[in-house]
Amino acid sequence: MPDQDGLHLGAVKLTSRLIHGTGKFPSSEVLAGSITASGAQMITLAVRRLHLDGDHHSELEGIDLGGYILLPNTAGATSADEAVRLARLARAAGLSDFIKVEIVGDSESLLPDPIATVEATARLVAEGFTVLPYASDDVVLALRLAEAGATAVMPGAAPIGSTLGVLNPHNLRLIIAKCPVPVIVDAGLGCPSDAARVMEWGAAGVLVNTGIAKAREPAAMARAFAAAVQAGRSAHLAGLAGRPEGFGASSPQAGTPAPLAPN
Amino acid sequence: MSKLSAEPRELVGGAARRERLRRSRLYLVTDDTTPSEDLPGLLAAALRGGVDLVQLRRKGVPPDQLMALAATCREVCHAAGALFLVDDHVELAAAAGADGVHLGQEDTSVAEARSRLGPDFLIGLSTHDAAQVKSATSLDLDYIAAGPVHRTPTKMGTPAVGFEHVEAAARAAAVPVVAIGGLSLADAGTAIAAGADIVAVVRAICASSDPEEAARALRGQVDTAPAWSWIELNGEARKCPPQATVQGLLAGLHLDPTGLVVERNGVIVDRQLWAEVAVGAGDTLELVHFVGGG
Repeated sequence: MPDQDGLHLGAVKLTSRLIHGTGKFPSSEVLAGSITASGAQMITLAVRRLHLDGDHHSELEGIDLGGYILLPNTAGATSADEAVRLARLARAAGLSDFIKVEIVGDSESLLPDPIATVEATARLVAEGFTVLPYASDDVVLALRLAEAGATAVMPGAAPIGSTLGVLNPHNLRLIIAKCPVPVIVDAGLGCPSDAARVMEWGAAGVLVNTGIAKAREPAAMARAFAAAVQAGRSAHLAGLAGRPEGFGASSPQAGTPAPLAPN
Repeated sequence: MSKLSAEPRELVGGAARRERLRRSRLYLVTDDTTPSEDLPGLLAAALRGGVDLVQLRRKGVPPDQLMALAATCREVCHAAGALFLVDDHVELAAAAGADGVHLGQEDTSVAEARSRLGPDFLIGLSTHDAAQVKSATSLDLDYIAAGPVHRTPTKMGTPAVGFEHVEAAARAAAVPVVAIGGLSLADAGTAIAAGADIVAVVRAICASSDPEEAARALRGQVDTAPAWSWIELNGEARKCPPQATVQGLLAGLHLDPTGLVVERNGVIVDRQLWAEVAVGAGDTLELVHFVGGG
Protein backbone atom coordinates (compact mmCIF):
# COMPACT_ATOMS: atom_id res chain seq x y z
CA MET A 1 0.00 0.00 0.00
CA PRO A 2 1.79 3.13 -1.14
CA ASP A 3 2.01 5.96 1.33
CA GLN A 4 -0.61 8.56 0.41
CA ASP A 5 0.77 11.29 2.63
CA GLY A 6 4.07 11.96 0.95
CA LEU A 7 7.01 13.60 2.65
CA HIS A 8 7.79 17.06 1.33
CA LEU A 9 11.45 17.98 1.47
CA GLY A 10 12.32 21.23 -0.23
CA ALA A 11 11.05 21.03 -3.78
CA VAL A 12 10.43 17.28 -3.80
CA LYS A 13 7.80 14.93 -2.46
CA LEU A 14 8.85 11.46 -1.38
CA THR A 15 6.25 8.74 -1.37
CA SER A 16 8.74 6.34 0.18
CA ARG A 17 9.91 7.41 3.61
CA LEU A 18 12.87 5.04 3.51
CA ILE A 19 16.09 6.73 2.40
CA HIS A 20 18.61 4.20 1.14
CA GLY A 21 22.33 4.51 1.89
CA THR A 22 24.80 3.29 -0.73
CA GLY A 23 27.94 2.60 1.30
CA LYS A 24 29.47 -0.75 2.29
CA PHE A 25 27.60 -2.87 -0.24
CA PRO A 26 29.53 -5.92 -1.48
CA SER A 27 28.99 -5.03 -5.14
CA SER A 28 27.33 -2.66 -7.51
CA GLU A 29 24.83 -5.38 -8.45
CA VAL A 30 23.82 -6.05 -4.85
CA LEU A 31 23.44 -2.33 -4.24
CA ALA A 32 21.27 -1.87 -7.31
CA GLY A 33 19.09 -4.83 -6.32
CA SER A 34 18.70 -3.48 -2.82
CA ILE A 35 17.71 0.02 -3.90
CA THR A 36 15.14 -1.41 -6.28
CA ALA A 37 13.75 -3.76 -3.63
CA SER A 38 13.49 -0.93 -1.09
CA GLY A 39 11.35 1.24 -3.33
CA ALA A 40 13.38 4.20 -2.08
CA GLN A 41 13.32 7.38 -4.14
CA MET A 42 16.10 9.09 -2.27
CA ILE A 43 19.60 7.66 -1.92
CA THR A 44 22.64 9.01 -0.13
CA LEU A 45 26.11 9.37 -1.63
CA ALA A 46 29.55 10.50 -0.57
CA VAL A 47 32.03 12.72 -2.43
CA ARG A 48 35.50 11.32 -2.87
CA ARG A 49 38.61 11.65 -5.02
CA LEU A 50 38.58 9.86 -8.33
CA HIS A 51 41.18 7.09 -8.60
CA LEU A 52 43.59 8.34 -11.23
CA ASP A 53 44.62 4.94 -12.56
CA GLY A 54 41.12 4.19 -13.80
CA ASP A 55 41.18 0.68 -12.31
CA HIS A 56 38.80 1.30 -9.46
CA HIS A 57 35.15 0.99 -10.24
CA SER A 58 32.62 2.88 -8.18
CA GLU A 59 29.88 0.88 -6.51
CA LEU A 60 27.57 3.43 -8.10
CA GLU A 61 28.39 2.18 -11.58
CA GLY A 62 25.33 0.65 -13.10
CA ILE A 63 23.00 2.79 -11.00
CA ASP A 64 21.09 5.44 -12.90
CA LEU A 65 21.66 8.36 -10.55
CA GLY A 66 19.22 10.43 -12.61
CA GLY A 67 16.45 8.05 -11.54
CA TYR A 68 16.73 9.03 -7.87
CA ILE A 69 16.67 12.08 -5.68
CA LEU A 70 20.22 12.34 -4.47
CA LEU A 71 21.21 13.22 -0.94
CA PRO A 72 25.00 13.64 -0.99
CA ASN A 73 26.67 13.80 2.39
CA THR A 74 29.65 15.68 3.72
CA ALA A 75 31.14 12.58 5.35
CA GLY A 76 34.84 13.06 5.88
CA ALA A 77 34.39 16.61 7.15
CA THR A 78 35.52 17.43 10.67
CA SER A 79 34.77 21.16 10.50
CA ALA A 80 32.12 23.47 9.10
CA ASP A 81 34.59 24.69 6.46
CA GLU A 82 35.27 21.17 5.22
CA ALA A 83 31.56 20.39 5.15
CA VAL A 84 30.83 23.52 3.13
CA ARG A 85 33.58 22.63 0.67
CA LEU A 86 32.29 19.07 0.22
CA ALA A 87 28.75 20.37 -0.18
CA ARG A 88 29.85 22.73 -2.95
CA LEU A 89 31.71 19.92 -4.70
CA ALA A 90 28.63 17.72 -4.43
CA ARG A 91 26.36 20.38 -5.88
CA ALA A 92 28.81 21.09 -8.70
CA ALA A 93 28.12 17.59 -10.05
CA GLY A 94 24.85 19.18 -11.15
CA LEU A 95 22.59 16.43 -9.88
CA SER A 96 21.22 17.72 -6.59
CA ASP A 97 20.92 20.74 -4.30
CA PHE A 98 20.33 18.48 -1.31
CA ILE A 99 23.07 18.03 1.23
CA LYS A 100 23.28 15.90 4.32
CA VAL A 101 25.60 17.77 6.64
CA GLU A 102 27.73 15.23 8.44
CA ILE A 103 30.59 16.55 10.54
CA VAL A 104 32.38 14.08 12.73
CA GLY A 105 33.35 15.49 16.11
CA ASP A 106 34.84 12.32 17.55
CA SER A 107 36.84 10.15 15.20
CA GLU A 108 36.28 6.94 17.15
CA SER A 109 32.53 6.96 17.72
CA LEU A 110 31.92 9.12 14.61
CA LEU A 111 29.46 11.12 16.69
CA PRO A 112 28.67 14.46 15.09
CA ASP A 113 30.00 17.84 16.17
CA PRO A 114 26.82 19.74 17.08
CA ILE A 115 28.33 23.22 17.05
CA ALA A 116 30.00 22.84 13.66
CA THR A 117 26.82 21.20 12.33
CA VAL A 118 24.72 24.24 13.24
CA GLU A 119 27.27 26.57 11.67
CA ALA A 120 27.54 24.57 8.45
CA THR A 121 23.76 24.25 8.22
CA ALA A 122 23.30 28.02 8.43
CA ARG A 123 26.02 28.69 5.88
CA LEU A 124 24.73 26.14 3.40
CA VAL A 125 21.14 27.32 3.75
CA ALA A 126 22.42 30.82 2.93
CA GLU A 127 24.06 29.36 -0.20
CA GLY A 128 20.77 27.91 -1.34
CA PHE A 129 21.24 24.26 -0.44
CA THR A 130 18.43 22.10 0.84
CA VAL A 131 20.09 21.06 4.07
CA LEU A 132 19.44 17.91 6.09
CA PRO A 133 21.89 17.84 8.99
CA TYR A 134 22.84 14.61 10.70
CA ALA A 135 22.92 15.40 14.41
CA SER A 136 23.13 13.84 17.82
CA ASP A 137 19.81 13.07 19.48
CA ASP A 138 19.59 16.32 21.39
CA VAL A 139 16.25 18.08 21.51
CA VAL A 140 17.48 21.66 21.68
CA LEU A 141 20.06 21.00 18.98
CA ALA A 142 17.24 19.86 16.70
CA LEU A 143 15.41 23.12 17.38
CA ARG A 144 18.53 25.17 16.68
CA LEU A 145 19.08 23.32 13.40
CA ALA A 146 15.50 24.04 12.38
CA GLU A 147 16.04 27.71 13.23
CA ALA A 148 19.22 27.67 11.13
CA GLY A 149 17.07 26.71 8.18
CA ALA A 150 17.38 22.93 8.01
CA THR A 151 14.71 21.41 5.77
CA ALA A 152 14.66 18.34 8.00
CA VAL A 153 16.82 17.23 10.91
CA MET A 154 18.38 13.81 11.08
CA PRO A 155 19.08 12.74 14.64
CA GLY A 156 20.98 9.51 15.01
CA ALA A 157 19.38 6.55 16.74
CA ALA A 158 22.85 5.22 17.61
CA PRO A 159 26.40 5.79 16.32
CA ILE A 160 26.94 5.38 12.57
CA GLY A 161 27.32 1.79 11.50
CA SER A 162 26.62 0.45 15.00
CA THR A 163 23.19 -1.09 14.23
CA LEU A 164 22.47 -0.68 17.94
CA GLY A 165 18.95 0.58 17.34
CA VAL A 166 17.35 3.40 19.29
CA LEU A 167 19.58 4.16 22.27
CA ASN A 168 17.61 7.08 23.65
CA PRO A 169 13.93 6.64 22.78
CA HIS A 170 12.84 9.40 25.09
CA ASN A 171 15.00 12.00 23.35
CA LEU A 172 13.99 10.89 19.88
CA ARG A 173 10.30 11.10 20.79
CA LEU A 174 10.82 14.57 22.20
CA ILE A 175 12.65 15.69 19.08
CA ILE A 176 9.83 14.34 16.93
CA ALA A 177 7.24 16.06 19.11
CA LYS A 178 8.92 19.45 19.27
CA CYS A 179 10.84 19.89 16.05
CA PRO A 180 8.99 22.17 13.59
CA VAL A 181 10.58 20.46 10.57
CA PRO A 182 10.47 16.79 9.55
CA VAL A 183 12.59 14.45 11.64
CA ILE A 184 14.36 11.70 9.71
CA VAL A 185 16.06 9.19 11.96
CA ASP A 186 19.53 8.44 10.66
CA ALA A 187 22.31 6.15 11.78
CA GLY A 188 22.30 3.06 13.94
CA LEU A 189 18.97 1.54 12.89
CA GLY A 190 19.88 -2.13 12.88
CA CYS A 191 16.66 -3.97 12.11
CA PRO A 192 13.24 -3.24 10.62
CA SER A 193 11.57 -3.09 14.05
CA ASP A 194 13.89 -0.16 14.96
CA ALA A 195 12.60 1.66 11.90
CA ALA A 196 8.98 0.74 12.60
CA ARG A 197 9.33 2.01 16.15
CA VAL A 198 10.54 5.51 15.26
CA MET A 199 7.98 5.76 12.47
CA GLU A 200 5.22 4.90 14.98
CA TRP A 201 6.40 7.84 17.06
CA GLY A 202 5.96 10.14 14.09
CA ALA A 203 9.38 10.28 12.50
CA ALA A 204 9.01 11.60 8.97
CA GLY A 205 11.36 8.99 7.60
CA VAL A 206 14.45 6.90 8.21
CA LEU A 207 17.83 6.58 6.56
CA VAL A 208 19.25 3.07 6.59
CA ASN A 209 22.61 1.95 5.24
CA THR A 210 24.56 -0.58 7.32
CA GLY A 211 21.40 -2.39 8.47
CA ILE A 212 20.73 -3.25 4.83
CA ALA A 213 24.23 -3.36 3.35
CA LYS A 214 25.56 -5.80 5.94
CA ALA A 215 22.51 -8.08 5.99
CA ARG A 216 23.07 -11.56 4.58
CA GLU A 217 20.62 -10.72 1.80
CA PRO A 218 20.56 -6.95 1.37
CA ALA A 219 17.70 -6.82 -1.14
CA ALA A 220 15.43 -8.91 1.08
CA MET A 221 16.38 -6.80 4.08
CA ALA A 222 15.68 -3.61 2.11
CA ARG A 223 12.21 -4.95 1.39
CA ALA A 224 11.72 -5.74 5.07
CA PHE A 225 12.80 -2.22 6.09
CA ALA A 226 10.42 -0.72 3.54
CA ALA A 227 7.53 -2.77 4.96
CA ALA A 228 8.48 -1.77 8.51
CA VAL A 229 8.61 1.91 7.58
CA GLN A 230 5.15 1.66 6.03
CA ALA A 231 3.75 -0.23 9.00
CA GLY A 232 5.20 2.29 11.42
CA ARG A 233 3.85 5.18 9.40
CA SER A 234 0.39 3.62 9.21
CA ALA A 235 0.43 3.01 12.96
CA HIS A 236 1.40 6.61 13.59
CA LEU A 237 -1.42 7.87 11.40
CA ALA A 238 -3.84 5.50 13.12
CA GLY A 239 -2.94 7.02 16.49
CA LEU A 240 -1.17 4.85 19.05
CA ALA A 241 -3.14 3.96 22.16
CA GLY A 242 -0.45 6.00 23.74
CA ARG A 243 2.02 5.98 26.56
CA PRO A 244 1.96 9.44 28.15
CA GLU A 245 5.34 10.93 28.80
CA GLY A 246 5.86 13.03 31.91
CA PHE A 247 8.60 15.40 32.82
CA GLY A 248 8.98 18.34 35.17
CA ALA A 249 11.65 20.62 36.51
CA SER A 250 13.60 19.58 39.57
CA SER A 251 14.38 23.17 40.41
CA PRO A 252 11.58 25.68 41.11
CA GLN A 253 10.27 27.46 38.04
CA ALA A 254 9.44 30.62 39.97
CA GLY A 255 11.97 32.99 41.45
CA THR A 256 14.55 33.14 38.68
CA PRO A 257 16.03 36.65 38.37
CA ALA A 258 14.38 38.83 35.76
CA PRO A 259 16.10 38.77 32.38
CA LEU A 260 18.65 41.50 31.87
CA ALA A 261 17.71 44.31 29.54
CA PRO A 262 19.78 44.20 26.38
CA ASN A 263 22.70 46.62 26.38
CA MET B 1 80.02 24.64 -10.93
CA SER B 2 77.25 23.99 -8.46
CA LYS B 3 77.61 25.31 -4.97
CA LEU B 4 76.41 21.91 -3.83
CA SER B 5 79.90 20.57 -4.48
CA ALA B 6 80.97 21.96 -1.10
CA GLU B 7 78.26 19.97 0.67
CA PRO B 8 79.74 17.15 2.75
CA ARG B 9 78.57 13.81 1.36
CA GLU B 10 77.73 12.52 4.83
CA LEU B 11 74.93 15.07 5.05
CA VAL B 12 73.32 13.99 1.81
CA GLY B 13 70.28 12.05 2.95
CA GLY B 14 67.46 10.70 0.85
CA ALA B 15 65.59 14.00 0.84
CA ALA B 16 68.61 15.94 -0.40
CA ARG B 17 69.25 13.35 -3.10
CA ARG B 18 65.63 13.48 -4.24
CA GLU B 19 65.72 17.26 -4.34
CA ARG B 20 68.79 17.11 -6.55
CA LEU B 21 67.14 14.50 -8.74
CA ARG B 22 64.17 16.86 -9.16
CA ARG B 23 66.55 19.48 -10.51
CA SER B 24 68.54 17.13 -12.73
CA ARG B 25 68.16 17.45 -16.50
CA LEU B 26 70.96 15.60 -18.29
CA TYR B 27 71.88 12.03 -17.45
CA LEU B 28 75.01 10.33 -18.72
CA VAL B 29 75.03 6.54 -18.82
CA THR B 30 78.53 5.19 -19.42
CA ASP B 31 79.25 3.02 -22.44
CA ASP B 32 81.08 -0.31 -22.57
CA THR B 33 83.82 0.80 -24.92
CA THR B 34 85.52 3.68 -23.11
CA PRO B 35 88.51 2.15 -21.26
CA SER B 36 88.12 2.25 -17.49
CA GLU B 37 91.14 4.48 -17.06
CA ASP B 38 89.61 7.07 -19.42
CA LEU B 39 86.24 7.11 -17.73
CA PRO B 40 86.95 9.60 -14.89
CA GLY B 41 88.26 12.12 -17.39
CA LEU B 42 85.27 11.61 -19.65
CA LEU B 43 82.91 12.09 -16.73
CA ALA B 44 84.68 15.24 -15.55
CA ALA B 45 84.36 16.75 -19.02
CA ALA B 46 80.70 15.77 -19.32
CA LEU B 47 79.97 17.20 -15.86
CA ARG B 48 81.60 20.48 -16.82
CA GLY B 49 79.36 20.55 -19.86
CA GLY B 50 76.19 20.23 -17.79
CA VAL B 51 75.58 16.57 -16.97
CA ASP B 52 74.13 16.36 -13.47
CA LEU B 53 73.39 12.66 -13.15
CA VAL B 54 75.70 9.77 -13.99
CA GLN B 55 75.15 6.04 -14.15
CA LEU B 56 78.04 3.63 -14.21
CA ARG B 57 77.07 0.78 -16.50
CA ARG B 58 79.55 -1.91 -17.48
CA LYS B 59 77.59 -4.84 -18.82
CA GLY B 60 79.25 -8.16 -18.19
CA VAL B 61 81.78 -6.92 -15.66
CA PRO B 62 81.37 -8.55 -12.23
CA PRO B 63 80.63 -6.01 -9.51
CA ASP B 64 83.72 -6.85 -7.44
CA GLN B 65 85.88 -5.75 -10.37
CA LEU B 66 83.99 -2.46 -10.60
CA MET B 67 84.49 -1.34 -7.01
CA ALA B 68 87.58 0.83 -7.57
CA LEU B 69 86.16 2.37 -10.75
CA ALA B 70 82.84 3.07 -9.06
CA ALA B 71 84.53 4.79 -6.13
CA THR B 72 86.55 6.99 -8.47
CA CYS B 73 83.51 7.89 -10.57
CA ARG B 74 81.56 8.68 -7.42
CA GLU B 75 84.31 11.08 -6.31
CA VAL B 76 84.33 12.83 -9.68
CA CYS B 77 80.54 13.18 -9.68
CA HIS B 78 80.23 14.38 -6.13
CA ALA B 79 83.04 16.88 -6.62
CA ALA B 80 80.90 18.36 -9.41
CA GLY B 81 77.71 18.28 -7.33
CA ALA B 82 76.20 15.56 -9.53
CA LEU B 83 74.40 12.41 -8.50
CA PHE B 84 76.09 9.08 -9.11
CA LEU B 85 74.20 5.84 -9.67
CA VAL B 86 75.28 2.31 -10.42
CA ASP B 87 73.55 0.05 -12.92
CA ASP B 88 71.99 -3.10 -11.56
CA HIS B 89 74.41 -3.92 -8.67
CA VAL B 90 72.72 -3.04 -5.40
CA GLU B 91 75.63 -4.04 -3.17
CA LEU B 92 78.12 -2.17 -5.32
CA ALA B 93 75.98 0.96 -5.10
CA ALA B 94 76.03 0.82 -1.31
CA ALA B 95 79.70 -0.14 -1.04
CA ALA B 96 80.90 2.51 -3.49
CA GLY B 97 78.95 5.28 -1.77
CA ALA B 98 76.75 5.83 -4.81
CA ASP B 99 73.54 7.82 -4.54
CA GLY B 100 71.50 4.96 -5.84
CA VAL B 101 70.98 2.18 -8.32
CA HIS B 102 69.33 1.82 -11.69
CA LEU B 103 67.38 -1.38 -12.24
CA GLY B 104 66.16 -3.04 -15.40
CA GLN B 105 63.01 -5.10 -15.63
CA GLU B 106 65.10 -8.27 -15.36
CA ASP B 107 67.36 -7.07 -12.52
CA THR B 108 66.85 -7.19 -8.78
CA SER B 109 63.29 -6.13 -7.92
CA VAL B 110 62.66 -2.59 -6.70
CA ALA B 111 61.26 -3.90 -3.41
CA GLU B 112 64.32 -6.04 -2.77
CA ALA B 113 66.72 -3.24 -3.70
CA ARG B 114 64.83 -0.89 -1.41
CA SER B 115 64.95 -3.29 1.50
CA ARG B 116 68.68 -3.82 1.00
CA LEU B 117 69.54 -0.14 0.48
CA GLY B 118 67.11 1.56 2.83
CA PRO B 119 65.17 4.76 2.25
CA ASP B 120 68.07 7.13 1.54
CA PHE B 121 69.18 5.67 -1.81
CA LEU B 122 67.70 6.58 -5.17
CA ILE B 123 66.22 3.77 -7.20
CA GLY B 124 65.41 4.09 -10.88
CA LEU B 125 63.64 1.56 -13.07
CA SER B 126 63.62 0.97 -16.82
CA THR B 127 60.21 0.66 -18.44
CA HIS B 128 59.39 -0.28 -21.99
CA ASP B 129 55.61 -0.16 -22.09
CA ALA B 130 52.54 1.28 -20.39
CA ALA B 131 51.97 -1.81 -18.26
CA GLN B 132 55.45 -1.56 -16.79
CA VAL B 133 54.91 2.11 -16.02
CA LYS B 134 51.64 1.25 -14.36
CA SER B 135 53.15 -1.37 -12.09
CA ALA B 136 56.03 1.01 -11.38
CA THR B 137 53.65 3.63 -10.01
CA SER B 138 52.96 1.47 -6.97
CA LEU B 139 56.65 0.88 -6.23
CA ASP B 140 58.90 2.77 -3.87
CA LEU B 141 61.21 4.21 -6.53
CA ASP B 142 62.60 7.62 -7.44
CA TYR B 143 62.48 7.83 -11.19
CA ILE B 144 61.19 5.92 -14.16
CA ALA B 145 63.23 5.54 -17.30
CA ALA B 146 61.16 5.33 -20.49
CA GLY B 147 62.72 3.80 -23.54
CA PRO B 148 64.41 2.89 -25.72
CA VAL B 149 63.03 5.82 -27.67
CA HIS B 150 65.08 4.70 -30.69
CA ARG B 151 66.74 1.41 -31.53
CA THR B 152 70.19 1.43 -29.95
CA PRO B 153 73.25 -0.79 -29.90
CA THR B 154 73.04 -0.78 -26.07
CA LYS B 155 69.63 -2.46 -26.10
CA MET B 156 69.77 -4.57 -29.24
CA GLY B 157 66.93 -6.89 -28.38
CA THR B 158 64.46 -4.22 -27.32
CA PRO B 159 62.19 -2.62 -29.91
CA ALA B 160 62.09 1.17 -30.02
CA VAL B 161 59.11 2.60 -28.16
CA GLY B 162 59.25 6.17 -29.43
CA PHE B 163 58.28 9.37 -27.69
CA GLU B 164 54.75 8.02 -27.19
CA HIS B 165 56.02 5.89 -24.34
CA VAL B 166 57.84 8.87 -22.83
CA GLU B 167 54.60 10.83 -22.88
CA ALA B 168 52.56 7.99 -21.41
CA ALA B 169 55.09 7.62 -18.60
CA ALA B 170 55.09 11.37 -17.99
CA ARG B 171 51.33 11.37 -17.58
CA ALA B 172 51.21 8.39 -15.26
CA ALA B 173 54.25 8.81 -13.05
CA ALA B 174 54.47 10.69 -9.77
CA VAL B 175 58.28 10.62 -10.04
CA PRO B 176 60.64 12.13 -12.62
CA VAL B 177 60.72 10.46 -16.02
CA VAL B 178 64.00 9.85 -17.81
CA ALA B 179 63.87 9.53 -21.60
CA ILE B 180 66.55 7.17 -22.91
CA GLY B 181 67.53 5.29 -26.02
CA GLY B 182 69.48 6.72 -28.92
CA LEU B 183 68.73 10.34 -28.04
CA SER B 184 70.96 12.92 -29.64
CA LEU B 185 71.34 16.66 -29.90
CA ALA B 186 68.69 16.59 -32.61
CA ASP B 187 65.91 15.24 -30.43
CA ALA B 188 66.87 15.87 -26.79
CA GLY B 189 64.45 18.80 -26.80
CA THR B 190 61.73 16.61 -28.29
CA ALA B 191 62.10 14.26 -25.33
CA ILE B 192 61.57 17.14 -22.91
CA ALA B 193 58.57 18.36 -24.90
CA ALA B 194 57.16 14.83 -24.72
CA GLY B 195 57.19 15.05 -20.94
CA ALA B 196 60.61 13.81 -19.87
CA ASP B 197 62.18 15.56 -16.91
CA ILE B 198 65.62 14.21 -17.69
CA VAL B 199 67.30 13.21 -20.93
CA ALA B 200 69.70 10.29 -20.72
CA VAL B 201 72.38 9.68 -23.33
CA VAL B 202 75.21 7.23 -23.90
CA ARG B 203 76.81 7.68 -27.30
CA ALA B 204 75.83 11.34 -27.72
CA ILE B 205 78.49 12.14 -25.14
CA CYS B 206 80.69 9.05 -24.84
CA ALA B 207 81.27 8.75 -28.58
CA SER B 208 81.90 12.46 -29.03
CA SER B 209 85.37 13.80 -29.68
CA ASP B 210 84.53 16.66 -27.33
CA PRO B 211 82.34 15.27 -24.51
CA GLU B 212 82.21 18.58 -22.67
CA GLU B 213 80.95 20.48 -25.69
CA ALA B 214 78.55 17.64 -26.54
CA ALA B 215 77.14 17.79 -23.03
CA ARG B 216 76.88 21.58 -23.14
CA ALA B 217 75.01 21.50 -26.43
CA LEU B 218 72.64 18.81 -25.15
CA ARG B 219 72.07 20.74 -21.97
CA GLY B 220 71.21 23.81 -23.99
CA GLN B 221 68.57 21.87 -25.91
CA VAL B 222 67.17 20.34 -22.72
CA ASP B 223 67.01 23.62 -20.85
CA THR B 224 65.29 25.54 -23.62
CA ALA B 225 62.71 22.92 -24.64
CA PRO B 226 59.12 23.46 -23.43
CA ALA B 227 59.07 21.47 -20.20
CA TRP B 228 56.08 19.92 -18.43
CA SER B 229 55.13 21.28 -15.02
CA TRP B 230 54.64 19.55 -11.72
CA ILE B 231 51.18 19.86 -10.25
CA GLU B 232 49.40 18.15 -7.37
CA LEU B 233 46.54 15.99 -8.52
CA ASN B 234 44.37 14.37 -5.85
CA GLY B 235 47.28 14.56 -3.46
CA GLU B 236 49.76 12.98 -5.88
CA ALA B 237 52.60 14.64 -7.75
CA ARG B 238 51.79 14.63 -11.46
CA LYS B 239 52.89 16.53 -14.52
CA CYS B 240 51.00 18.43 -17.12
CA PRO B 241 52.16 19.61 -20.54
CA PRO B 242 52.83 23.26 -21.33
CA GLN B 243 49.69 25.33 -21.96
CA ALA B 244 47.50 22.62 -20.48
CA THR B 245 43.84 23.18 -19.71
CA VAL B 246 41.63 21.24 -17.34
CA GLN B 247 40.04 19.54 -20.33
CA GLY B 248 43.37 18.61 -21.89
CA LEU B 249 44.67 17.25 -18.62
CA LEU B 250 41.61 15.03 -18.13
CA ALA B 251 41.84 13.78 -21.70
CA GLY B 252 45.53 12.98 -21.26
CA LEU B 253 44.72 10.93 -18.17
CA HIS B 254 41.98 9.06 -20.05
CA LEU B 255 39.57 9.84 -17.24
CA ASP B 256 35.83 9.50 -17.68
CA PRO B 257 34.49 13.04 -17.15
CA THR B 258 30.96 11.84 -16.34
CA GLY B 259 29.95 13.13 -12.94
CA LEU B 260 33.39 14.55 -12.36
CA VAL B 261 33.87 17.74 -10.38
CA VAL B 262 37.12 19.66 -10.66
CA GLU B 263 38.47 21.97 -8.02
CA ARG B 264 41.58 24.03 -8.87
CA ASN B 265 43.43 25.72 -6.03
CA GLY B 266 40.35 25.51 -3.83
CA VAL B 267 37.88 26.87 -6.40
CA ILE B 268 35.44 24.70 -8.34
CA VAL B 269 35.94 24.94 -12.09
CA ASP B 270 32.62 25.07 -13.91
CA ARG B 271 32.42 22.26 -16.45
CA GLN B 272 31.67 24.88 -19.14
CA LEU B 273 35.10 26.39 -18.52
CA TRP B 274 37.19 23.22 -18.54
CA ALA B 275 38.48 23.94 -22.05
CA GLU B 276 39.59 27.44 -21.07
CA VAL B 277 40.97 27.19 -17.54
CA ALA B 278 44.74 26.73 -17.60
CA VAL B 279 46.62 24.25 -15.44
CA GLY B 280 50.26 24.88 -14.70
CA ALA B 281 53.18 24.70 -12.33
CA GLY B 282 52.28 24.43 -8.66
CA ASP B 283 48.53 24.09 -9.19
CA THR B 284 46.61 21.85 -6.83
CA LEU B 285 43.73 19.98 -8.42
CA GLU B 286 41.10 17.83 -6.82
CA LEU B 287 39.04 15.55 -9.04
CA VAL B 288 36.07 14.17 -7.14
CA HIS B 289 32.97 12.20 -7.91
CA PHE B 290 30.16 10.43 -6.08
CA VAL B 291 30.86 7.14 -4.37
CA GLY B 292 28.70 5.00 -2.15
CA GLY B 293 28.03 6.50 1.26
CA GLY B 294 25.49 6.68 4.02
